[in-house]
Amino acid sequence: MIVINCSRKAVQSFFMETKVKQPFLISGEFTYDLYLEKYPGQAYLYINKVRSKELPGGSKYQIIEPTLLIYFDEICALFNDNTDIDIDDESYLPTSIKTNGKYVFQIDRVVTTYIVNTELGLDEIKKISDRIEHVFRMKIIPLLKQVRLID
Amino acid sequence: MTRWELTKFKVQKTNEGTFNSVINFETEIIVPETRKSFIFIFDGRQFIVRGFEFKPSYLPYEIQHRLESLLDSVLIRELSKHSRKTEYLRAFSLTKISTYPEGTLANLRYVYNDKFLEFGSVLVIPPYKEPNRICKVPLTIETNAVSSVKSFYELLKMICSSAVRIYIDINNVNEIIKILLQKVGI
Repeated sequence: MIVINCSRKAVQSFFMETKVKQPFLISGEFTYDLYLEKYPGQAYLYINKVRSKELPGGSKYQIIEPTLLIYFDEICALFNDNTDIDIDDESYLPTSIKTNGKYVFQIDRVVTTYIVNTELGLDEIKKISDRIEHVFRMKIIPLLKQVRLID
Repeated sequence: MTRWELTKFKVQKTNEGTFNSVINFETEIIVPETRKSFIFIFDGRQFIVRGFEFKPSYLPYEIQHRLESLLDSVLIRELSKHSRKTEYLRAFSLTKISTYPEGTLANLRYVYNDKFLEFGSVLVIPPYKEPNRICKVPLTIETNAVSSVKSFYELLKMICSSAVRIYIDINNVNEIIKILLQKVGI
C-alpha cells in the first residue's frame, strides 16, 4: 500500500512499502521490508523511521531525495485541495481519494466483489489514475531501483 | 405520451441443452394516470399480463429482438471473458429504481453465468441526451468478475467506452415499455 497526502498541489507526506532482495542494515538489524516515508513539514526521506542520509551509504539517498519529492509533487499537482490518496502497490493505481476529509473515490473489496463509489466521473478517474501510474512506473520506481530501495 | 413508472425490468436467457435457450422476461409498469400497475411476464411459453394470458401468447418479435439485443450487450460479452464456465445464463435488469420529477434513477445489472456487473443510481429514464455523460457523473459500480485492482480499472474503462451502447440499452428498455403499454391499450 502507498499513501500520499497532498496540500496546495505539493506532497506533504507519503508512506510506501517496498521489498528488497539484498538485506538492508537499519538500526543494527537486517531487513528485506522497507518503509519509505516523508513526514509533513520536512523535505527528507526516511527509511524505516531513520533519516536516509544517516544510513550506511546514505549520501546516495540524499542525492535522489529532491528528485523523488518532485515526482510526488507531480502527482499532487492534480489536486487543488487537501487530498489523501491510497495507491495499490502492484498496479500503482489509486484505490481511494479523499479530498478535505471526504471520499470522492473509493474501491472496496468484499470477499470476491469489488465495489467502487465515485463522486468524480470515470473520465476524471482515468485521467488521475493514468498520471499516477505513469509517475510511479516511469519515474519513482526506476529512481528507487537506481539506489536499490526496491527490487 | 402517458406518464409511466418502471418498478421492475428483468430479462434472462438460460441455456437448456446445447441448442435450446429460453428467454424469461418480467417487467412491472405503473401508470399513475389510471392508478393501474401492469405486470408483464413471459416465461418462455406464455405471455401473461396481470395474471391473464395474453393473445397471441408468444412474445412479439419487436420485443424479442430488443430483449436479445440487451442480452448481447458488450458488457455481458466482457463478463463472459471472466467466466470459465460454459454459458448457462445471461441476464439484464434494472434494479433499485427511484422516480424523481426529472426522471428515473436506476441501477443496471448485467449478468453472465455467476459473474455480474452492476452500476448506476445515475441512469435516467428518459436517458441522457448525451450518452458519454455516464463517464462524467458520480457512479456506484459493483462486480465480482475481476480479481485485481488492475483488471477492475480495465472494466471501468470498458464502461466508458461502452457509453453509447448503454444508451442504446436504455432506449431499448423505453421502446419495449412503449410497445407493452400499447398492447394493453394505454
